[in-house]
Amino acid sequence: MDSCTNHILVINPGSTSTKVAVFQGGQSKFQQDIIHHEKDIDKFDRISHQYEFRMQAIIEVLEHNDIDLSCIEVVMGRGGLINPVPAGVIEVDEKLKFDLRNSPIGEHASNLGGLIADDLAKKISGAKAYIANPVVVDEFDEIARIAGHPLFERKSIFHALNQKAIAREYAQSHSVSYNEINVIVAHMGGGITVGAHKKGKVVDVNQGLDGEGPFSPERSGNLPIGQIIEKCFSGDYSEKEVRKMVTGKGGMMAYFGTNDLREVVAKKFRGDKKAELVYEAMAYQVAKDIGAMFTVLSGDVDAILLTGGIAHDQDFTNLIRNRVHKMAQVYVYPGEDEMKALANIGTRVLRGELKPIKY
Amino acid sequence: MSHDLILVINPRALFTRVAIYQNYNVLFLKDILHPDHDLARFSHYTEEVNYRRDKILSELDDNGICLDCIQAVVGRGGLMKPVKAGIYEVNPAIVNDLKSEEYGEDYVNLGGVLAHEISGLFPTMRAFVVDPVTVDEYGELARFTGHPEFERKSVFHTLNQKAMAKRHAKALMRKYEEMNLIVVHLGSGISVGAHCKGSVIDSNQALDGDGPFAPERAGSLPMGDLIRYCFRSGKSEEEVIDKFFHKGGLFAYLGTYSALEVDGMVTNGDEKAAKVFEAMAYQVSKEIGAMFAVLNSEIDGIIITGNIANSRWFVNKIIDRVKNMGPVHVYPGVMELDSMAQITLSALRGNEEILMYK
Repeated sequence: MDSCTNHILVINPGSTSTKVAVFQGGQSKFQQDIIHHEKDIDKFDRISHQYEFRMQAIIEVLEHNDIDLSCIEVVMGRGGLINPVPAGVIEVDEKLKFDLRNSPIGEHASNLGGLIADDLAKKISGAKAYIANPVVVDEFDEIARIAGHPLFERKSIFHALNQKAIAREYAQSHSVSYNEINVIVAHMGGGITVGAHKKGKVVDVNQGLDGEGPFSPERSGNLPIGQIIEKCFSGDYSEKEVRKMVTGKGGMMAYFGTNDLREVVAKKFRGDKKAELVYEAMAYQVAKDIGAMFTVLSGDVDAILLTGGIAHDQDFTNLIRNRVHKMAQVYVYPGEDEMKALANIGTRVLRGELKPIKY
Repeated sequence: MSHDLILVINPRALFTRVAIYQNYNVLFLKDILHPDHDLARFSHYTEEVNYRRDKILSELDDNGICLDCIQAVVGRGGLMKPVKAGIYEVNPAIVNDLKSEEYGEDYVNLGGVLAHEISGLFPTMRAFVVDPVTVDEYGELARFTGHPEFERKSVFHTLNQKAMAKRHAKALMRKYEEMNLIVVHLGSGISVGAHCKGSVIDSNQALDGDGPFAPERAGSLPMGDLIRYCFRSGKSEEEVIDKFFHKGGLFAYLGTYSALEVDGMVTNGDEKAAKVFEAMAYQVSKEIGAMFAVLNSEIDGIIITGNIANSRWFVNKIIDRVKNMGPVHVYPGVMELDSMAQITLSALRGNEEILMYK
């Protein structure tokens, strides 16, 4: 095989890291997670201001590892908070870039993915930039949109990329089509989302980004709204501070000052009773959301799939399994396959199997 | 003259429901209506105590009830300290906590206060409250929200949930304390409780805006949007609370608090009403699913109760989603009064421990 064709560069900015990888034909040729220190990240008021900082870090890593950019044909960036889109792959154009920079719904590190991908693609002749399955993939049933007051709507914002990739992987390994099965996928990372996949469409999912569903390492999940209203009007907090309680500094971060579950586990093993309880409470809340999605699928569920970084923790997945295994068989896919997922989508585009859409 | 009557009081916003029981039989039952022009005199419901007390007494008197024959008066338990389920003799601590609204404002607080006021007029009459709204049997894990400055409190329709669960157990000739049940109370507020062997170990906190939307309440809302609304709408805290707790849910979408009216709209082909009503059933189902996980997916049954359980359309929408979990039983209406009278009767006969509120 010609070593310099069909290369795909993948850029995936997360809240505290930027992942960079090069793939060829589904195989990873290079991958590095650039870890950003909290103090470096906290310097920026807005996530979009981290653009130069992250771009610089990526270029250094690519140069340091002698990556030949001329081999790259596709640059895949992780999508971000933009207007709702169908599942699939989207060309990066000016309209998309505008919304990535000026998000209509809120800031998220993944917004930088498409912007960085586009800039890198421009440096390489013939390369094209795409984003795929961004967090705003929206396949909700109409009924899932109703919140409880006409002022608000429930929105579809979730780990679409990994959830879809894992659901497809499950389908493939069971020789069925993703479009023929019902599965519940719980993605458990810094945020946690639990999606009801009904014959290939995610018809409901907790809106993990700003406080729905289980708490997670850095998000509070659902809080009683009476108490939220009280906080907002107490005069003690700014809007930004209340939002931080929900996203960024909620969950494990609020209870223990860390968003690293392994540190909480270490406390637990040292006999810290509170750490043990909070750890179990998080699993409990994930299980409750799986139960909720079980009814969304009318109890007709082929499998429950647990994925994301936290799925490496077998004690944690067992706590969930004990509560939900009577609903459907539970499968664990530890880690995040986002890089591979983006690369696979890029490969399908290069092969002409998947047609990119315009934003 | 026999001295064995029990007066049961359940105060609501616009009426006070009273009943007289002798043994297990109801001798008298009435919703004493409080017209707007009466209530307009009061700026807060806590001022309505004497007015409601006098209304109750004259209503009983007008109907030939022997007031001196009342052995005990039992009020609906209101918002007080978290306590275990059961019957409490009304004491100054209860009256004080209900009146001061330290644990929350709601008409239901008048129950214990009215029981106290009425019993005070008769030398031997005893006053009780039963299964207050704040009965707390939560498991440790249910208390965490996801942020240490917020807590999940056990506040729900204890009385009716427990009464219906016990009635159901009895019908199956089983013990409530040996069953795992999910109980759904469908009233102006909606609560879904996970009853694990006689204890309600988790439920949505209906009073504080948690769980499905309901006729009056918005339930859980997207929090990012809510926070933005609190800071930017220019509305006061009272207005925001009123909007989401008293004028949310069905009322906000369809302009009526009556789920049965909405049921009628659906029957008449109103598509918007059908969509909203179905969404409410959808959210209730999701809460049932959550409680199913709480009970490790092993349950003896799901009990659907409350007034909205009279809507077959609504109940069927729920059953479609949850029927794979276990048998579903529908008991429309509420049996709060029966339950209060029965528990009081057993307590007076020494068959149920009378608890002390501190």
